[in-house]
Amino acid sequence: MIDDTDKKILNEIQSFFPVASRPFLEIGMRLDLSEDEVLERIKRMKSNGIIRRIGGNFNSRGLNFTSTLCAAKVPEEKLDHFVEAVNRYPGVTHNYLRNHAYNVWFTFIAEDMAFIDSALRDISIETGVKEILNLPAVRTFKIKVDFAL
Amino acid sequence: MISELDKKIIGLIQGDLPLETRPFASMAEIAGVNEDQFIRCVEDLRKRGVLRRFGATLSHYKSGFRANAMVAWIVPDERVDKVGRLFSSFKEVTHCYQRNAQNDWPYNLFTMVHGSSRDQCFRIAEKMADSACINEYILLFSEKEFKKTSMKYF
Repeated sequence: MIDDTDKKILNEIQSFFPVASRPFLEIGMRLDLSEDEVLERIKRMKSNGIIRRIGGNFNSRGLNFTSTLCAAKVPEEKLDHFVEAVNRYPGVTHNYLRNHAYNVWFTFIAEDMAFIDSALRDISIETGVKEILNLPAVRTFKIKVDFAL
Repeated sequence: MISELDKKIIGLIQGDLPLETRPFASMAEIAGVNEDQFIRCVEDLRKRGVLRRFGATLSHYKSGFRANAMVAWIVPDERVDKVGRLFSSFKEVTHCYQRNAQNDWPYNLFTMVHGSSRDQCFRIAEKMADSACINEYILLFSEKEFKKTSMKYF
């Protein structure tokens, strides 16, 4: 589905995407490809879903936001309602079903922890799910999102 | 501090880059500045540590990493520092955080592990466990994705 040239492009644009006037020309110069070829290949990988998005990833604390990881014990019959209630918040960016009694795991970003605490209380009241953990990071050891292909 | 222009620029680059020859020129136009100013402002956000990374986010699944596990560990407090650093040195570990144990959740160190299969994730976790002499841990696999998006700050 992707060839070696695609892989080279992907390795280049995960962390070293040039923020420059003609970024695709620069990538092409690094990899000895034409600007058009780089752009066409990236468009193709975007449309078939290998590339989810190209853009900025921010340090939420640097923007005076706070973030946390939450986990909830949700019985099967409440799952749909709970997921719908949680996903309604724009600050919930990732939400997964996992194989544990704490089966729903979601990340929550907001301006402050008071907002998140109050949202979790509201979700709990609305859905009847009582066991929700709020597990903010007390220390970040590593965030590395690149995949060497 | 975050200026009004910063907010406008963050609002644009938190989305998806237009796939055209001069993508920053079109975003600059929306922000009401010229291309040069826009690019300098993005670089400045990066220098200040506000912008962690600018680039492509890949679908793990489609790029061959078909399994991901959240591996949660019980690590004695006095060892968290060393073990956190050790686990971070594994290339298969993309995220590593210390979080406080609470209620009936005793795990205090979290690592995201990516592999080509669940079996491979188990093997990686075993290798990590051996290297740190930590034997209380669990692997939580994602069985369904309910939401995956990027934050819209402004």
